[in-house]
Amino acid sequence: MSVSEEVENLSRRGFLRIAGIAGTALCLGIYMSADAEPRVLTEDEARLANAGIALAAWIIINTNGKVTLICHRAEMGQGVYHSIAQIIAEELEVDLYGIDIQLTQGDEKKYGSQLTGGSSTIRGSYKNLLKLSATAREVLIMAAAARWKVPNTECYAETGNVIHKPSGKKLHYGELVEDAAKLTAPKDVKLKARSEYKVIGKGNHRRDSPLKTNGEAIFGIDKRIPGLQFATVERNPRLRGKVKSFDATAALKVPGVTRVFKVVMGVWDTDREGVAVVATSTWAAMQGKKALKVEWDDTGFEHLSTPEIYSRQRELLKTSEGLTLTTQGDPTGIIAQAKDKLDVVYETPYQSHSCMEPVNCIAHYQVDKVEIWGPVQAPNWIQDYVSKKLGMARENVIVNMTFLGGGFGRKAMPDYPYEAVMVSKEIGAPVQVVWTREDDATQGPYRPGISYRCEGAVENGGITALKFRMAGQNNDHWRGGDNGKANRSTSEGFLKPYYQSIKNISFSDIPFKTPIPTSFWRSVYASTNGFAYESFLDELAHKASKDPMDLRRQYLKDERSQRLLDKMEEVSGWKSRKKNDGYGVAITECFASTVGHIVKVSKKSTGGIHIDKVWVVVDCGWYVNPDIIKAQVEGSIVMAIGAATIHEITFKDGMVEQRNFYDYKMPRITDIPQMDIHIMENDENAGGMGEPGLPAFAPALTNAIFDLTGKRIRKLPFDITTV
Amino acid sequence: MNRIIRPLKNFRPSKSLIVMGVMMYLVALMAFGMNHKAELKKEHPAPFIIKKDSVASVKAFAAVYKVLMSPRCMNCHPSGDIPLQGDDSHLHTMFPKRGLEGKGVLAMKCANCHQPTNTPGVHTPPGNPNWHLPPADMKMVFQGKTPRQLAQQLIDPKRNGHKDMQKLVEHADDGLVLAGWTPGEGRTLPPMSHAAFKKAWLTWLSTGAYAPKK
Amino acid sequence: MINLNVNRKSYQLDADPDMPLLWAIRDLIGLTGTKFGCGVAQCGACTVHLNGEAVRSCVTKLSRAAGQNVVTIEGLSADNNHPAQLAWNEENVPQCGYCHSGQIMSAAVLLREKPEPTDQDIDDAMAGNLCRCGTYLRIRKAIHLAAELQKKEGGTT
Repeated sequence: MSVSEEVENLSRRGFLRIAGIAGTALCLGIYMSADAEPRVLTEDEARLANAGIALAAWIIINTNGKVTLICHRAEMGQGVYHSIAQIIAEELEVDLYGIDIQLTQGDEKKYGSQLTGGSSTIRGSYKNLLKLSATAREVLIMAAAARWKVPNTECYAETGNVIHKPSGKKLHYGELVEDAAKLTAPKDVKLKARSEYKVIGKGNHRRDSPLKTNGEAIFGIDKRIPGLQFATVERNPRLRGKVKSFDATAALKVPGVTRVFKVVMGVWDTDREGVAVVATSTWAAMQGKKALKVEWDDTGFEHLSTPEIYSRQRELLKTSEGLTLTTQGDPTGIIAQAKDKLDVVYETPYQSHSCMEPVNCIAHYQVDKVEIWGPVQAPNWIQDYVSKKLGMARENVIVNMTFLGGGFGRKAMPDYPYEAVMVSKEIGAPVQVVWTREDDATQGPYRPGISYRCEGAVENGGITALKFRMAGQNNDHWRGGDNGKANRSTSEGFLKPYYQSIKNISFSDIPFKTPIPTSFWRSVYASTNGFAYESFLDELAHKASKDPMDLRRQYLKDERSQRLLDKMEEVSGWKSRKKNDGYGVAITECFASTVGHIVKVSKKSTGGIHIDKVWVVVDCGWYVNPDIIKAQVEGSIVMAIGAATIHEITFKDGMVEQRNFYDYKMPRITDIPQMDIHIMENDENAGGMGEPGLPAFAPALTNAIFDLTGKRIRKLPFDITTV
Repeated sequence: MNRIIRPLKNFRPSKSLIVMGVMMYLVALMAFGMNHKAELKKEHPAPFIIKKDSVASVKAFAAVYKVLMSPRCMNCHPSGDIPLQGDDSHLHTMFPKRGLEGKGVLAMKCANCHQPTNTPGVHTPPGNPNWHLPPADMKMVFQGKTPRQLAQQLIDPKRNGHKDMQKLVEHADDGLVLAGWTPGEGRTLPPMSHAAFKKAWLTWLSTGAYAPKK
Repeated sequence: MINLNVNRKSYQLDADPDMPLLWAIRDLIGLTGTKFGCGVAQCGACTVHLNGEAVRSCVTKLSRAAGQNVVTIEGLSADNNHPAQLAWNEENVPQCGYCHSGQIMSAAVLLREKPEPTDQDIDDAMAGNLCRCGTYLRIRKAIHLAAELQKKEGGTT
C-alpha cells in the first residue's frame, strides 16, 4: 500500500471515539476498526491508563486535570510532536505547554498506520484530532453544566477549566473527568472557525526544542536498558553478497569484544549477510569490526558501476516505450508531426539519506516475544516484517519509538531492526546495533538514480504535447511490488492542473533493475521527477519564446494556482527583473501541497555561481504551525542544495564509492542562500509539509542558471563552482 | 672561499622564500614544546659552513622545491587563510581559518580536530602536538610560488619566520617538517625520503642558497 | 585508571587510553547528549569543551582528556539557560535535534571569544558542524540573539 493510500484509508475508516475510564481518567482515541463501538475500558485497562501507560487512547485526562498526549507518529524533526499537541490544545482548550507528550509503541489497531512518511501525519489526522478534542471539551462542558444545573450554552472552556459565564464558577477538567466519562459524547460538535484559533496558526515555541538543547532528548542511539550490549556488523560491501568465511581471532582480542558471528539481515525480500561483533561498548565493537577478516562471496549478481547504470538507462530511453502510467490525447503522434519540438534526457543521481543519527536499533529477543527500541519511522512495518521472519505473532513484536535524529525515509525500512533482533537472538541478551557512518554510506538503501527522456512540442507560443519516460529503479520492487506495472510515482511532482489544459500528455516507466537497494528519500520520486519535468517546461517556454512564469500561468488555469503564481511574482519581484538577471522558477506538487520556488543567482567573481536568494511560496491548505512549515522548507532547500550541487552516491564494481562526510559532503552553514518563505492562506484540505518544499528547488536553480548564462544543466549533481 | 655565515645578510632580502620557513617555524615550536632544544643544539653545535656553488645550489633547490610544493608541505602553507587538504590540495573542508597565531579561530581551532598524534583510519585528521599554520603576520606562503620566489622567501628572515642560517639548518628536523613523512593513512608521502630532503636542503643552504632563475 | 573530569564531576575510568572521549562519555559515564555522527571529525555532532575549546570528542583520545576539564551539553548551564540554549529555543532552531548538542557547544565558544559575532565570524566558527535538517539560517539567527542575551546578562558564559 502506498503512503498516500494509507492516508486516504485513515480518513475513510477512522472515526472518533471516546472511552471513559470508570472514575479515573478520560481517554480519547481515534479507532481504525470500523466495527469498534465506544465502550468503557476494563478495570485493568483503566488502571494501566491511569498509570500513564497508553491503552486504547491518544489523549488521557486524569483526575488532576493533567492531559497526556500519545504522539503516535515518529518525531524526526518535522515537528509532529509539537503540532499534534498544538491541534489538541486548540479545541480541547488546554495549555499547550501543560500537555504531557509521550512517544509510544507500534500499534496499528490503536493508532492506525504509524508510518511516518508521505508527509502524512497532519493531513491524515487533523480532522479527527480537531473533532476528538472538541468533543472532549463539549463532554467536559456538559459534565460541568450538569453539576451546576445550568444550560450547556452558559458554559465555556478555557485553559483546562470549564467556566460558567454568568456566575464565574469554575471547575478544572480533572474535577469533571469522572462525570464526563459517564456521558455520551455528542455526535457533531461545532469546530472553531479559523478566525477563532488562538493556538493553531501560530509559530509558537516547539515543545521538543528544550529537550534538544540540553542533551535530554533520547534518540534511538541514546536508549539504554538493563544488560544492554553493543554491536556493530561488518556487511558485505557488495550490496547482495554473502559471507564465505571469516577470521575472528584478532577481533576477539580487542578488549571488550565478547562475541563474533555471522548474521543475516533481511532487506525486504532479499538477505544481506555480515559478521556481527558484540562488545561491552560501542567503541570496542567498532574496534573489533576493524580487526575482522572476512572473505566475501560475491557471485551470482551484477557488479555494477555508475557509468554503466546511466548508459543502460539511456539505451532504454532510446529504445523502449515502457509501461504507460497515464496518457491523454496523442503526444507521440503530435510530437512526430511537430515542427518545433524538444527531445532531451535528464539524469539524477543516487543519494544517501545520511541522517545525522546513524542507523541503530536495540532489540531484545526473548523466545516468545521481541522487544525493539529505536529511531523508526514505521513501527508497524517492523512488526509485520519481524513477525513474518520469525514466525511470531505480530503483537509479540513490541516496537518502542524514540526520537529520530533524522529519518528522510531511510528509517522506514525494517532491515536494521531485524538485524538487531538476529544479533540479540544469537547472544540471548538485549543489544544495540550501531551502524558506523561508513556503514550508512555504503550499505544504503538509496534514492534511486533516474534518467528521464522528455519530449515536447510547441506551437504559437504554447505547448501542444508532453511525453515523459522514466528509467530508474522502482522502490516498490524491494517490497515485492508487481514488476509488470508502471511505477505509480512516475508523474509524482507534476502539477495536476496541467492535465486539464495540456491536451496531449503521457508518462511511462521503463522498468530498470539493479542489485542496489533503494527506498524513499525525502519527497521520493518528486525529488527527481521535479528536476526533469520542471526544467523541461522551462526549456519549452524558451522554445516557445514565453516567459517561464507566463507559460505556467497559461496552463495552470485554476484559481488556486493563479493565486500561487500571483504571490510568487509579488514576493520575488519577478515582473521587474531584468532580462538574464539570473532568475529561475519551478513549481511542484506532492503529498497534497504545491510549492513554488524562485531562485536568483549571480556570477561569482572567483568563478562559478552564487545562489543569492530563494523565494518560496507554499500552498498546503489548512495548516497548524507556520514556523514549522517554514523550517521544513528551509531544511528542504538545504537538502536540495546538497543533492543538486554537492553530493551523490556512485558505484564501482558493485560497491559504493563514498564512505563518510569527507567524500559524501554535506552543505554547511557557509553554503546557504537567503530565503524568503510565504504560506498561502486558505481553508483547503491540509497538505503535507515535511517533503513538498524540496523538489522545485533544483529546477528553479538550474533554470536560473540558464537565465543567467544560457547553459542548460540536465544532469545532477553539477559543480556550482565551475558552471 | 669558505665563510662562516650567521645571519642571512649575504642574501638580498628579496621577494619570496618560504617552504622551509614554515617547517622550521613548526620545528622550532615543536622543539620548544617537546624539550628537544638541547638535542638540536647537540646535533648542530658548530657554525654552519658555506661553500658557494651556484650550480649545485640551484640543483639542490630543485629537490627541495619538489618536497615543499608537495601536498604534505604546501597544504599548510596556503596562499589564502584557509589550509589545503588532500593530495589534490583542495581547500580544507569546513574552511578553518588561520587566525592570528595560525592555530585557528573561535570554535574552529586546529587542535579541536588535529590531535597530538595521527588519528587512526583514512581521511581522519593527521596529528601533531603543535599542529598549526604559519601565523597571520608571517604567512610563509608556498602555494603558487615559483622556485625562485620560494627560494628567496626561504632565506629572507622577514618572511621566513625570522630564521637565521643556523635556524634554517635546524629546521630540517623540525617536528612538523618531519610530520610530513608520517602523514597518516592514505596520504601520499613527499616525493623523496626525509634523509634525501634534508641532504638537499643542507646542500642548498651550504652552497649559498642560490635562487633559481625562475 | 584514567581520571576524567566531566561537568565538574570526577570519574575514575578503567578504560583504554586510546578510547575516544566520545565513547567514554556516552558508554562509560552514560551522558548521551554528546552524539556520534561520523567518527572522523567531519560533522561536529560530538563537540564538547576540553579546557574551554570546542574539541571533537570522536577523535580525542581519553589520554588527551585525562585530568583536563571536559564540559558536555549536559553541563553547559544549570538550567538550559546558557544564552545559546535560550536563543536556540527562542528561534525554534532544532528540527530532529541530533546535531544541536554539538552546534551549541561550538556556538558557546564563539560567543565567549567573540561576544558580538558577525555573520562571517559565525561562518568561521560553525562550518565544522553539520546539520542534515538544514537549520543553518536559524543557527545564525540564534547566535545573533544569544549575543544580545549575553550582553544583557552581563557577558557571562
